Amino acid sequence: MTVSTGIDAPVEETRVALGRSLRVALVHGREEASRRAVTNLALASGAEIVARIRASDPRSFVEAAQALRDARPDVVVIQGGTKDEVALAELLEALRLGCGAQRPMPRVFGLVDTRVAASLRLRASPFEFERFAAASEVVDGLRRLRSGGDSDAPLRDALIEDGARALAETTATAALAVDVTERSTSLVLARPDGRIDAAHFIPLGLGMGADHVVVRASLDNVRRWLPWPIDAPALLERMFNRTRRTVEGPATTEAAVLLEMALAREAIAHALRDAADAGLDVAAMRSAPSILITGQPASLRRAGQSLLVLVDGLEPNAVSTVFREPDEGRAERIGMVVAVAPRRPAKIRIVRASGRSVARVDPGSFGLVAVDGDVEVAVSGAGVRGHGRSGELGVLIDARGRPLSLPERDGERIPAVTRWHAALQAIAGHRSST
Amino acid sequence: MTWRRERWSADHPLPIGVTKRAQVGDLVRAGDIIAAGATLAGALRVPGARRLGLSPADFERELRVRVGSDVVAKTVLARVGRRFARSVTSPIDGRLLHVTVDGDLYIAPIVDRWTVRATLDGVVARSDDAVVEVEGEAWCLQGAAAFGPDAIGEITLGVDGPDSDLAPSRIDVRLAGRIIVGGARVSAEVITRAHACGVAGLVAGGVPPAGLRVVYGDTVTASGSSSRDDRPTVLCLMGFGSAVLPRAIFEPLAALGGARAAIHTASARLFVFSTADIARAEAGSPDVAVSGEGPAAYAPADRGGADIDEADSEQPAQSEEELSPSANDRSSSER
Repeated sequence: MTVSTGIDAPVEETRVALGRSLRVALVHGREEASRRAVTNLALASGAEIVARIRASDPRSFVEAAQALRDARPDVVVIQGGTKDEVALAELLEALRLGCGAQRPMPRVFGLVDTRVAASLRLRASPFEFERFAAASEVVDGLRRLRSGGDSDAPLRDALIEDGARALAETTATAALAVDVTERSTSLVLARPDGRIDAAHFIPLGLGMGADHVVVRASLDNVRRWLPWPIDAPALLERMFNRTRRTVEGPATTEAAVLLEMALAREAIAHALRDAADAGLDVAAMRSAPSILITGQPASLRRAGQSLLVLVDGLEPNAVSTVFREPDEGRAERIGMVVAVAPRRPAKIRIVRASGRSVARVDPGSFGLVAVDGDVEVAVSGAGVRGHGRSGELGVLIDARGRPLSLPERDGERIPAVTRWHAALQAIAGHRSST
Repeated sequence: MTWRRERWSADHPLPIGVTKRAQVGDLVRAGDIIAAGATLAGALRVPGARRLGLSPADFERELRVRVGSDVVAKTVLARVGRRFARSVTSPIDGRLLHVTVDGDLYIAPIVDRWTVRATLDGVVARSDDAVVEVEGEAWCLQGAAAFGPDAIGEITLGVDGPDSDLAPSRIDVRLAGRIIVGGARVSAEVITRAHACGVAGLVAGGVPPAGLRVVYGDTVTASGSSSRDDRPTVLCLMGFGSAVLPRAIFEPLAALGGARAAIHTASARLFVFSTADIARAEAGSPDVAVSGEGPAAYAPADRGGADIDEADSEQPAQSEEELSPSANDRSSSER
C-alpha cells in the first residue's frame, strides 16, 4: 500500500498489516447508550462482533452460555452502569459456564467504574479481567491484540484514520475517509481539531466479505445497481464464488467491474446504517466537505467509477470535494459533488476565477459540469451553498434526492442506472453528459 | 485440492450439559459416540453458600452432588451441621449445572438428550467440557464449504460421471445412512429429498447458493455453517454452482465406494477410512474443469476445527473474475 499526504507530495511506500481477526462478544447494560458505546468500541477497533448480550436479555442462563460458547470470543467487552451490576455478574457466570474450557481463554475488557469493576473482576475468574477508564484505551487494547504485537507494520484501519486526519488538517474542514477492501469496509470521520469517529466493519467487503454484504444488505439491493438484468440465483452464485478467490488487483472485465461497484455501494450503505445504529454521526459523514475514497473502489480504472460508487453508497448531502487514493498510487482529486434536492427546476450558480456560469438543475438530474480549479457554488431555492475544488471530472450535480430511491421495475430502473453510469463515464463507450 | 492420506485431527465442539465424554487416549472409530449430554432449559438459581452460612470456597467442599450430575427434586445438594442441620435441596428434577463465584447453584431441567459422534478413526487427543479432539489417519479431501451437522456413512456413487448432476430420482430410502457423491452439482430438491430419505450426507463439486438458502435459510454464507440440529449435510468440494469434479478427485471417490467415510463440516473435510491405494490421484494437482459460472480451484479457507500438521496451501488457478453472461445477463454495452 502507498500513503500520500496530498496530490503534490511524494508517495511513500508503507508496509501495512491487516491484523488478525479478533472475535469480540459484547456484553452491555440495559440502556441504549450502553449498547451503542460498546458497539462503538468494537467498530472502532476493527474487531468482528460475534455475540451481543444485553443485561436484560430475554435468553435464559443456559442459552446465554451456549451463545457465548458457540461464539468462541477472543475478548468479551463489558460496559454498564451500577444498576446493571447484578445482571452483568450473572452474564459473567454464563461466560464461565460457556467458555470456561475454551483454549485460549477469552479475555474480559471492562469499561466500567471502579466499584463495578471490583465486583465483576471477582466473578470473571478464571478469565483475565482488565478495567479501562476510557473508551480509547479499550480500542487501543483491542488493536494491540489484533496486531499481535507487530508494531512495525501499522494496521490498515489505523492508516485510514491517519489519512482522514491528515485530510482534515490540510483542508481545515471535516473529512471522511471511506475504505472498502476484500474483507472490510471502513468509515472514518475526522474533524479539524483531531477528533475522529471511526467504524471498521469486518467481514464486509468485495471479496471474502462479499457474501456478508449479500446477507446483510440483501441480494436485491446489490442487484439493483447493475445496469443489466440478471436473475437472483446467477448473481448469488457469483457472489459466493467471489469469496473463494484471491483477487489480484482491480477487476478488468466490465461485468466484473460493475459487479464490484454494486457490492461496494451496498457495503458502504450498510456500513452507514450500522454506524448510525451505533450512534455515530452519520449526518456529519454525509455532509463532510472533503471525502477520501480508498481501497478497491479507488483502484477502479476510471475516476468516474470511484465517484459513482461513493455518491450512490454514501449519498452525500452537501458540497464535497472528493479524492481517491488507490493502494498502489498517489491521492488525486477527482471531482466535486453538489447534492441538491430541488422540488422544482432550480438554477446553480458556479463561480470560478475565470468567471461565473449558471446551469439549470432539474429534479432527478445527475451529471457532470466540466469545471476546473476552485469553485464556489450556490443553488437557488435549495439552500445549498459551498466551496470546493473540482478535479479531473469537474463538478457532479446530483439532484436525485435523498434518500436515493431506485425504481422497482427493471424496465425503469435499468435505464436510470445506465444513465447514471454513462453520466460519469463509468461504462465503456459512454462519454460525459451534463 | 487433492486426496491425501495423512494424520488429521478433528475438533468436536460440545454443547452445554455434557454428561460423559471419551477420555484422552481412548481409541475411537468414526461414528462412535464420544460425548453425550442433556439439553437444558431455563436454569433456576438456588442460594447455596449464603443459605448454609459458608464462604463460597467452603461451600464447594460441602457439596454432596458433583456439578454436572442429574438430580431429582428435594435431593440434598449440600448440608452442614448435625443437630441443627441446614441444607440446600434441589427444587426441581434436572441437572446441577453450575456453581457461581458466590456459592449459588444453577439447576436446569432436562428437556432432551444429545450425543456427539467421532468423525475420525483414531485417538482422543483432547477432551474437556467444550471440545473432544480426535486424531487419526485417513484419506482426506479438503472441500470449499460444508453445511449442516457432521455425517458418517458409507461412500456411495450417485452419478455415472464427474460431470453429471445428481438427479432426485436416484435418491431413495435404500440409500439411508450413506454419504452420496453427487457429481458436478446437487440441487435443493436433491438435498431435501436425500434428507427425507435418511441419507447421511451429500458430496458434490458445487451446490447452487440459492438452493442452500432454501434449505439453510437466507443467512447462509459461503464460509459454510456447522450445526447440531436435524438438517441435511452437504459438502461442496470446489465451490458454488456447478463444478465438474476433476478425474483425479472423482476416480478415487468411485474406487472408494463402500468405504466408511465422514464429513466434518467445521473444517469442510471428507475423511475416508480405507487402506485402498489411490496414490495415483494423490500425485500432482488435478486438472480443473469449469462449467458455466462455476468456480475454478480455490485456496483453502482458514478453518477452525480440524488441522493438519503441515500447511496445505494451494494457489488459485484463477485470479480475475471471468464472467460469461447468459442470455439475460449481458451488460448494456454488450447488448
